[in-house]
Amino acid sequence: MTDRILDPSALPAAAPLPDPALGGAKEASFGPWATAWRRLRRDRGAMVALAILCLVALACAAAPLYASAVSGTNPFATNLNGEVTIDGTAQPVLAPSTTGLGLGVTPIGPTWALGPYMLGADNQGRDVAARMLYGGRNSLLIAGAATVLTLVFAVAIGLLCGFFGGIVDGVLNRVLDVLWAFPIYLLAISLSIVLIAEGLTIGPIDIRAGSLWLPIAIIGVVYVPYVARPIRGQTLSLMRSEFIAAAIALGVPPWRIFVKDLLPNIMPRVIVLVPILLALNMITESSLSFLSIGVQPPDASWGTIIQDGQGLLYSRPIVALAPGLAVALTVLCLNILGDGVRDAFDPRAKVRIA
Amino acid sequence: MHRLRLRALAAALAGGAVLFGVAIAPASAQEKGGSLRLLARAASGTIDPHINYTLQQWQVFYIAYDGLVTFRKVGDETGFEVVADLAEALPEATNEGKTYTFKLRPGIKFSNGQDLTTDDVVASLQRIFKVSGPTAGTFYNGIVGADKCLSAPADCTLEGGVVADKAAGTVTINLTAPDGEFLQKLAVPHAYILPAATPASDQGTTPIPGTGAYAVQSYDPNASLKLVRNPQFKEWSADAQPEGFVDDISYDFGLTEEAAVTAIQNGDADWMFDPPPPDRLAEIGTQYESQVSLHPLSAMWYAPMNTNLAPFDNPKVRQAVNFAIDRDAIVKLFGGANLAQPACQILPPGFPGYEPYCPYTANPGTTWSAPDMEKAKALVAESGTAGQEVKIIAEDTVVSRAIGVYLQDVLTELGYKASVQPISQNLQFTYIQNTNNKVQISISQWFQDYPSPSNFLNVLFSCGSFHPGSDASVNIAGFCDEAVEAKMKEAFAAAVTDPASALPIWTEVDRQVTDAAPAAVLFTPKRVDFVSSRVQNFTFSPQFYAIFSKLAVQ
Amino acid sequence: MLVAILSRLGRLVFVMFGISVVVFLIFFATPGSDPAARIAGRNASPETLAQVRQSFGLDQPLPVQYAVMMKRLFVTQDLTSFVNRGQKVVPAVIKAIPVTLSLVLGAAVLWVIGGLIVGVAAAATRGGWTDRGLMALSLVGVSMPVFWVGEVMNLLSQSRLHHTFLFSWVPPLGYKPLLTDPAGWFKALVIPWVTLAILYIGLYGRILRADLIETMQEDFVRTARAKGLPESRILLRHGVRSSLIAFVTMFGLDFGALIGGGALLTEVVFGLRGVGKLTYDALQTLDLPVILTTVLYASFFVVAANALVDALYAVIDPRVRRAG
Repeated sequence: MTDRILDPSALPAAAPLPDPALGGAKEASFGPWATAWRRLRRDRGAMVALAILCLVALACAAAPLYASAVSGTNPFATNLNGEVTIDGTAQPVLAPSTTGLGLGVTPIGPTWALGPYMLGADNQGRDVAARMLYGGRNSLLIAGAATVLTLVFAVAIGLLCGFFGGIVDGVLNRVLDVLWAFPIYLLAISLSIVLIAEGLTIGPIDIRAGSLWLPIAIIGVVYVPYVARPIRGQTLSLMRSEFIAAAIALGVPPWRIFVKDLLPNIMPRVIVLVPILLALNMITESSLSFLSIGVQPPDASWGTIIQDGQGLLYSRPIVALAPGLAVALTVLCLNILGDGVRDAFDPRAKVRIA
Repeated sequence: MHRLRLRALAAALAGGAVLFGVAIAPASAQEKGGSLRLLARAASGTIDPHINYTLQQWQVFYIAYDGLVTFRKVGDETGFEVVADLAEALPEATNEGKTYTFKLRPGIKFSNGQDLTTDDVVASLQRIFKVSGPTAGTFYNGIVGADKCLSAPADCTLEGGVVADKAAGTVTINLTAPDGEFLQKLAVPHAYILPAATPASDQGTTPIPGTGAYAVQSYDPNASLKLVRNPQFKEWSADAQPEGFVDDISYDFGLTEEAAVTAIQNGDADWMFDPPPPDRLAEIGTQYESQVSLHPLSAMWYAPMNTNLAPFDNPKVRQAVNFAIDRDAIVKLFGGANLAQPACQILPPGFPGYEPYCPYTANPGTTWSAPDMEKAKALVAESGTAGQEVKIIAEDTVVSRAIGVYLQDVLTELGYKASVQPISQNLQFTYIQNTNNKVQISISQWFQDYPSPSNFLNVLFSCGSFHPGSDASVNIAGFCDEAVEAKMKEAFAAAVTDPASALPIWTEVDRQVTDAAPAAVLFTPKRVDFVSSRVQNFTFSPQFYAIFSKLAVQ
Repeated sequence: MLVAILSRLGRLVFVMFGISVVVFLIFFATPGSDPAARIAGRNASPETLAQVRQSFGLDQPLPVQYAVMMKRLFVTQDLTSFVNRGQKVVPAVIKAIPVTLSLVLGAAVLWVIGGLIVGVAAAATRGGWTDRGLMALSLVGVSMPVFWVGEVMNLLSQSRLHHTFLFSWVPPLGYKPLLTDPAGWFKALVIPWVTLAILYIGLYGRILRADLIETMQEDFVRTARAKGLPESRILLRHGVRSSLIAFVTMFGLDFGALIGGGALLTEVVFGLRGVGKLTYDALQTLDLPVILTTVLYASFFVVAANALVDALYAVIDPRVRRAG
């Protein structure tokens, strides 16, 4: 769980993408992007995974619909004295024990039927199924936004280091060193303890405590070195290639070289990383929430529902099992998709997950 | 009592008709000998009795050390009474209540073989200040010379405050003003008597010799605390320090509550400090009924409201919150009606000065029956504060978080923009005290130190315990009311001559504070003790909870 | 060579310095982190609070406090915890190391063997059902959050199936020392080992398979094939050998990170008081001395593992020296 995404053997980086103008490969007429896309579409496994992911995302998007039409309860409000009618009999959502000394309160179990409490209730009498859908929204949102954040930072740092070298490279590299050697969970835990209580204000950016942006920012920052390093390596090797040397010799301004030459050549690697980072971020998000940092109540994410379920593991294990399976399924699909994307865009990249 | 391990007591408790001191397995013929294995999830800090302020360590100190006086170690409500311990008899206060003279019992030795002398008593009382003990400035500041000791601890002599006559074996303590609770303060571990040679610094993990029935052999906060019989101990008073049944006690740290329950079920351990996890309550309450005992605690779960910050600077709003809370519902979050009792006044049931009183219920009277949402909404409307933002600071534990979310629902229904923010439970208690953090409403607990109404009312709601800008300002609500303050002074004055006459005054204070609503009291928790099947004679004192020296094993 | 070693050491020192400063600053930036009130005890008087602040040096400027703490950690080694006062931090960490080491070593044995079997078997049956099945399983293994796997394992072995023959041998959670109770040690750790190893078996199996398949298309393998060597022998002899570098590299880095406390989640779920759990507990109580020590300890292993792997590379593959 603690490691790098990319195997260091890949550090010297894949060769630059063949310049479309030079032609060469038999599918060259479609251009490299179209070629890759065609390859990806032929990968049945990846397409199935993509389809499942779309379904998961759709289901989560429909969370409000489910809450109002199917479960009929507010998944964020406690329902401590509520009753629900199942098979014609009214049952309390939270049932105090009546045997022996009468200790403990057990939430209602799964009904396994489309309707209220399909997956049972948590310790506050909230519908677990509805919370799962809402939680999925947050989990996906956090994973997605954190991925974008990581990639933006990492690409910027990697390009800057590789392009300018010298002091810029030295300074940024030392920063990455520190970030890299700071154990991921420790970094995340320390940051979130600070931020969760007070929020974060840096200049114009004002993130309020409890906001979703906090876990996004934390997870986004944590993995930057793991992505920036290989991109720096790739930029370095690109800088040694003839076409960049020629561009520099011709006096092309740096930003032009960035945009026209470096970025397009780095993009395949970046795209390969997207599904894998997403998967990694999903797991990180749930782990952080499990350590009770991350999404704040009464909001839910799959990780926080697992955490709620931990307290019910012996009496109502489904509360922890269901969101765990949801995470596993989503991450599995992302990994399969990741394999497909890698084969399609950058087959030589040795991408490692987790 | 608050802090760390203490609050853990509350997370899941129980009760009903079980009375104080009902031994679980009838103690027909307990035999001496054998070993006890106790469990706690984590160690609880230093084993220096003058410094540690947690119930978990106090339970150990109770059987390993003695004060001049102590609380009676029995399993009924007389466990609240102070009895003579190292002193031969309880002294009468003389000199208008300002002087106490103790005569030491002869022939008592510390576990290292040294004789107990008046030097040890003087040195120990000085040491409270020399180590900057947590209660030095709050419990013992009334001793003559204490003010100098507080400002320059290293040179503390308590000259004129503690006077020994070594030949006669007496120690005289002089106070600057009468204090009806002084003997109770002397009975808590911070005033226990240690050898005079004990260094004037926190002894951390180094065991200090004591006079109790057991002696600490070793302590490793990451592994265990070992207690063995004190070879020098001879029982001098079964009430003050009874001889123990088992030969040695191993108090092991590190197992989660889930694992601890399993270990006790399987007979691998005998008792656990932490409350059993809510998830396992039904199981142990039915399958292991005979190994469980329930006792109400002198404690409360409450939601202090900052009387200096909007919207809670308006008493109507605070009362509205009190009216709106469904305490039955909150009790469910805690583990059910057998584990906690709804409450709406400050003093807990059975406590000195307690008279049932509940203005915040559907039918105001003595007991809480149901929330009165209409009344609450009317009060909010009168205050004109609806629509304001309110943030609830909860602890990051299952129960506290759940209560936080529930309060959020309540405040939202009352028309506020409410949010809830759980904070790591080790930080929350200091965080909510500091006025700089601008906490509006929080969820906290309070456990008694000694059985006096002032321990709730004066400590939590007097002007004197409000220190703006400090992390140590236990009057979390920042409540400071002249009328209440005057009434408390009256009670203190009355207690000096006749403690019983002070109780009705405290009852009145309780009502005044409850009416002013600086906090919403939620419920009185009960304690669940789960012991292994081989444990006999489990004894629960209202002051000490489980008394380890009374536990016997088959 | 000497220059390279010195530069590595310099980097190590810089990284550890940077990390300790970051931790220190984060700590003092945290609201409610001031340990004075927690040390002093509840409802302490302002005088007592001031005394505690002074005796713990908390009234000093931050750089001084930092220097004192570093001195007490590295020079006098008598740094004590803020929470369990008197508890020396360095011995506490040293005591936690055997637990982490037991957990990680056992899991490493499992995942190396498992990874090799999965990788080789999948490569040998490439494209077949065995291959697909193994790869699917590996992906599933990689996709499950480790803490959740641990929880499910606990649920089954401690509760649901505890009374069946499958798990009746499982002891309560917690660690037993190897030297005093070898059988208990083994029983207590089997399930944590498996839990931790699942992820890595999947990872290593997949990477090894990809490496093997790539190697099998290299010229020297074609030559061997042309010589008529059996395919299985080529795979084991040539394939595995040349894939070993990547395998060993990965292992070095993972092992370093885990020894450093990266197995935090596994330790927390199974109640093993290793370095990760120690760190986790210290973070819960904001016990700065312990946090600093464990974080520095962890970063040391991460950086050291990196340096070792790089050195190994330089020895094995001269091309890297130029590229680096």
